[in-house]
Amino acid sequence: MLQGAADVAKRLLAGEVGAGARAIRWLDDRDPRGAEVLAAIYPQTGRAQVVGVTGPPGAGKSTLTDILVAEWRKRGQRVGVIAVDPSSPFTGGAILGDRVRMSRHALDPGVFIRSLGTRGQAGGLSRSTQDACLIFDAMGYDIVLVETVGVGQDEIDVVNLAHTTIIVAVPGLGDEIQAVKAGLMEAGDIFVVNKADRDGYDATHRQMELMLHLRAQAVADLRWDVPLLRAAAAKGEGAEAIVDAIAAHRSFLDQEGDFANRSRLRAREQVLSLVRDALAARALAMSGDAILQQVEMRRLDPYAAADRILSALSEKSAAA
Amino acid sequence: MNRPTGPIIPASDQIAQEEARWQQETRGPAMDGRPERRDPFVTQALKWPIKPLYTPADLDAVGFDYMADLGFPGEYPYTRSTRPNGHRTDFWTMTQVTGFGKGEDWAKRARYMLDQGLSGLILEYDLATTNGYDSDDPIVEGEVGRAGMALDSLEDLEKAFDLPFDKLKYLMSVCNAPQPVNLAMIIAALEKKGVDPKDFVLHIVNGILIEYTCVGRYIYPPEHGLRIATDCIEYIIRNHPNWAPISIISAQLQPAKANPVQEIAYSLSIACAYIEAVLERGLDIDTVAPYINHFVVNVDMDFFEGVCKLRAFRKCWARLMKERYGASKPEALKIRMMTSPTTIALTLQQPLNNIARLGIMATACALGGAGEAMTTPLYDEAHALPAENAIRVGAAIQHIVAHETGVAETIDPLAGSYYVETLTKQMEDAAFAEMDKIFAMGGALKAIETGYIQRALGREQYERNKDIEEGRRKWVGVNHLTRADEEREIEIFRLDEAMEEEQIRKVRDLRARRDQPAVDAALEKVREAARNGENMVPPCLEAVKLYATHGEICNAMRDVFGVHSADSQLMGI
Amino acid sequence: MTTFKRPLRVLLAKLGMDTHTVGVTVIGHALREAGMEVIFTGLKQTPEMVCAAAVQEDVDVVGISTLSAGHTRSLPKLARLLREAGAGDKLLVAGGVIPEEDKPILEQAGVDRIFTMGSDTRDIVAYLESWWAARLAEDAA
Repeated sequence: MLQGAADVAKRLLAGEVGAGARAIRWLDDRDPRGAEVLAAIYPQTGRAQVVGVTGPPGAGKSTLTDILVAEWRKRGQRVGVIAVDPSSPFTGGAILGDRVRMSRHALDPGVFIRSLGTRGQAGGLSRSTQDACLIFDAMGYDIVLVETVGVGQDEIDVVNLAHTTIIVAVPGLGDEIQAVKAGLMEAGDIFVVNKADRDGYDATHRQMELMLHLRAQAVADLRWDVPLLRAAAAKGEGAEAIVDAIAAHRSFLDQEGDFANRSRLRAREQVLSLVRDALAARALAMSGDAILQQVEMRRLDPYAAADRILSALSEKSAAA
Repeated sequence: MNRPTGPIIPASDQIAQEEARWQQETRGPAMDGRPERRDPFVTQALKWPIKPLYTPADLDAVGFDYMADLGFPGEYPYTRSTRPNGHRTDFWTMTQVTGFGKGEDWAKRARYMLDQGLSGLILEYDLATTNGYDSDDPIVEGEVGRAGMALDSLEDLEKAFDLPFDKLKYLMSVCNAPQPVNLAMIIAALEKKGVDPKDFVLHIVNGILIEYTCVGRYIYPPEHGLRIATDCIEYIIRNHPNWAPISIISAQLQPAKANPVQEIAYSLSIACAYIEAVLERGLDIDTVAPYINHFVVNVDMDFFEGVCKLRAFRKCWARLMKERYGASKPEALKIRMMTSPTTIALTLQQPLNNIARLGIMATACALGGAGEAMTTPLYDEAHALPAENAIRVGAAIQHIVAHETGVAETIDPLAGSYYVETLTKQMEDAAFAEMDKIFAMGGALKAIETGYIQRALGREQYERNKDIEEGRRKWVGVNHLTRADEEREIEIFRLDEAMEEEQIRKVRDLRARRDQPAVDAALEKVREAARNGENMVPPCLEAVKLYATHGEICNAMRDVFGVHSADSQLMGI
Repeated sequence: MTTFKRPLRVLLAKLGMDTHTVGVTVIGHALREAGMEVIFTGLKQTPEMVCAAAVQEDVDVVGISTLSAGHTRSLPKLARLLREAGAGDKLLVAGGVIPEEDKPILEQAGVDRIFTMGSDTRDIVAYLESWWAARLAEDAA
C-alpha cells in the first residue's frame, strides 16, 4: 500500500474529516491512492442509508436538503451531504455553490458537506459520487444524502445509486407532468411537492396524486406505499414528515431484505461501470484513432468498429 | 447650388438611395481600403452596433412619430421633460456627496452643515445596523460605526437629533432591510423632540428589492422583504403623506454592470412590484404612483447611452403607469429623478482626468434632462474623507454646465437628432420587451426569487471585465495611456476600536436599565404582527419606545420570516 | 476517452459584513473558464466557517474577498485556523480593498498572496496555475 493511503484509511475510519476529504479527493482525481483507501475501508461499508434527492431545477432541492439535515441532527443522526453540480463540458471547470444554502451547518461536527462536479460524466452524476458515499459510510455517517443537478437523465442515475430516492416537484414550472419524467414516477420512493405556499400548489399536488395512483395500479409490487408529502422548505416546513418517511423506507427495506438487495445492485453497477470505463480506455489506447477515423469517414460502421476493437483487445490479452 | 425641390425631409427610400450613392462615391473611396479603428463599433454597455451615419430613414425604421414619441415638455409621454419649462425657471437642485457619517459623530457634523446653510441631511448607518444587528453581536466585530452611524436604540437617535430642526427641511435615511424598525425609531425620536412631521420631508430609501439583485444588504427572504417595505410605504401614505417612502436607486445596478436596457427594465419592474403590493392594500394608482416614482439614475461615460437612457426612462415610466395601471394624473405619470455621473467611470489612476469625466457626464445628465436634482461625486474617491478641494470642484462642475455651456437654455435640445431618437426608441422597445418577459414570469419578485436578474447581471459583470482586460474597451489610465510609475493607494476608513467598545458598553447598559418584561412583551407583539400579516410599523414603534434594540426587533422578525441565504445561482455566479 | 486532468479546487468566500459580489462573481467565472472547480461558501462568513469548508472540500486554494476593515484580524485568524487543522499547505489568497501598509502584516500571518482590487483575472489565473504546476511536480517527486 502507498504510504499516504494507509494512514488516510485509518484516520477516516476513526471519523477524521480531513482524511475523509482527502480520500474523496483522491477518488475524484483518479489518484491510485484512492483505490487503495477504498480497498482498505470497503468491508466497513454497507450501513449508511443513501438518500438521493432529485428533481427539476428550481424545485428547491438545496433548501430542502438544508432542512432535512437540520431534522436529522435534531434526532441525533450524523449526515454526509454530497452536492453535485455540472462541470462545463468545454473547460472542465465548475461553480459548486450548493453549500451556501447549508451555511448554518458549517460548524456542526455531525455534518459533512462535500461538493462535486460532474467532471464529464455523461449520466450527470460523477462516478466519484458513489465512491464518496462509501467513504461517508465507512466514516460512520448514518445518512448520506446525494443532491443532484436535476436535468437530463441524471435522475435515473440517482435511483441506481440510492437506497431511497426522493423526487421533488414544485408548482409553477409550467407543465408539471413534463417536469417529472415518466421514469421517475416509477422509480421514486418518496415524492415531495415543495413550495407549499405557492400559487398552483394544490393543482400540482393533485396531479402528482393522480400519477402515483396510476403507478400503483400499474406496478404489481405494492408493498411500499409511496408517500406524497408537502413541504415549504424556505419556511422550514415539512422536514419531519419526510425524515419519518425516509426512516420508514429504511425499515421496509430491512424487513423485505431489499436493503441488502439494493446495496448489491449498487455494488454491481459500480463494478460494471468501472470495468466499462477501464475497457474503453484500454481499447482506445490500443486501436486508437485509426479505427474511429474509419467510422467518421463512413468507411466502417459503428458495430463493425466495435467488433474490431474488441477482437484486438482479446487478441492482446490472449497473447499476454 | 440649386436646392433640390421637394419636401424638406425626403422620403426614406430616396434617402436610402442617396445614402447608397454616398457610400459608393464618397465614403468608400475616402476610406481607401484602410480598416476602421474599431471593428465593430458598438456602444459601451449595450454593445449595440453604431452605424457610420444616421438619417431620417432611421427614424422611419424605428417608427418614430413626433407627437406619439415626444410630444411637449410637461405633457405625456414626458420624453422631452417632465417640467413644462425645463430648466429655464429654476435649474435642477445641485447637491453633493458630503461623505460624512463615516464613523464621525453624525450629530456634530449635521449641526455644522445646517449652520453652513445646507437644509438637507443624509443618515447613513454602519454595516451592523444595515444588516440588522446590534453593536455587541460578535458577527459585526470591526464594523461598528465604521461605514456610518451605529443605531442600536432610540437613545442613539435622540442624541443624534440634537439639531436645529427649524433649519432642516429634508432628511434622507439610507436603510433597506430593517426599514420598519428604522422608520419607527425616527418617528419616535421626532416625537420625543417635539418636531412636527409636517414641517419637513423624511425620505426613506426602503429599497429592498434592488438589494437582492446587487449589493446584497438583505435579511429576510424576498417575499417578506417586499411585505415589510410595503408596510412602510402604506404607513407613510396613510400617516405622513408629505414624506417620501422609497427611493429606487437604479444607479446601484451600474456597479453590477447592468446595461441601460437592464437598468430601465429591472428598476421599473421592481417599482411595479412595490406599486402592485400597495394597490392590493386598497389604494389607487393615482394616489400610489406619486409615492413610488422616486428614482436615482446615473450616466456612464458613453455620452449617448446616458442621454438616451434618461429620456427613455421618462417615457417608459409614463407609458407603464398609463398602459399597465390606467394612471391619469400627471403626478402619477411623471417620474422623479435624481441624476449623477457614475463613480464607476472614475479611475484611481491619474485622478485629475476624472474632473474631465465628471464634466462630460454632468453635461450628458443636463442634456438628458437632469431631473429634479443632480449630484456630482468627488473626483478623487481614493480618499474616504473628502478633501475641501474635491467638494469645491464638484460644485463648480455643475455650475459650469449650468451657466457656461448653454445646454440647459432650451428644453431637450438633442431631440430630433437622428441618432438620439433612434437610440432612445430602441432602448424603450428593448426595455419593454425585457419587462414583458419579467411580467410573464410573474413580476420582479419572481425574477428575483428564481435568480433571473442576478444571473443576467453576473454574466454582464464577467463580460465587461473581459472587455477591459482584453482591451476592447479603452480606459485612459487603466489600460490606455497608463503611467508605469504611478502607484496609488485607496485609503480605507479604519475602525475606531475605542468607539466600538463605547457603543457596545452603551447598548449593554441600556438593556440593563430598561423594563425588560415590557420589552419582551413588545417583541412578542412584533412576532405576532409578522405572523398575522399586520403592518409592522406600529408594533415596531411600540417596541422602540420601550427601548427594544434594533437587533432585537430584527431578530424577532427573523424568528418568523427566516433569513435569506442566496446560493451562488441566485447571486449570478 | 480523454486523459484525466486534475482540476484545481478553489474555495471562494467573503469574510465579514460586506456583501458586494461583483469581485467574486468575475473571479468565479474566470476560474471556471480556466477549468477550475470553484466552491463558493457564500457571504458573511467567519474564519471558522471558511476553515471547516476548506477541510471538508479538500480544496487547494482558499480565496478570500474582503472590503471591510476587519481583514487585519480575520485573515490572520483564518491562516492560523487552517494551520491548526492541518490545512496549512493550502494556498491562501486575499483580494479586495487592502491597503499597502497592511500587506506585510498579512503576509507575515500566513496570507500567501494579495491581489488588490483591479487585478487582472488573467494574472490571478496564471498565478494559481503556476503554483499548481509546482505543487503537482512536488507531489510527483
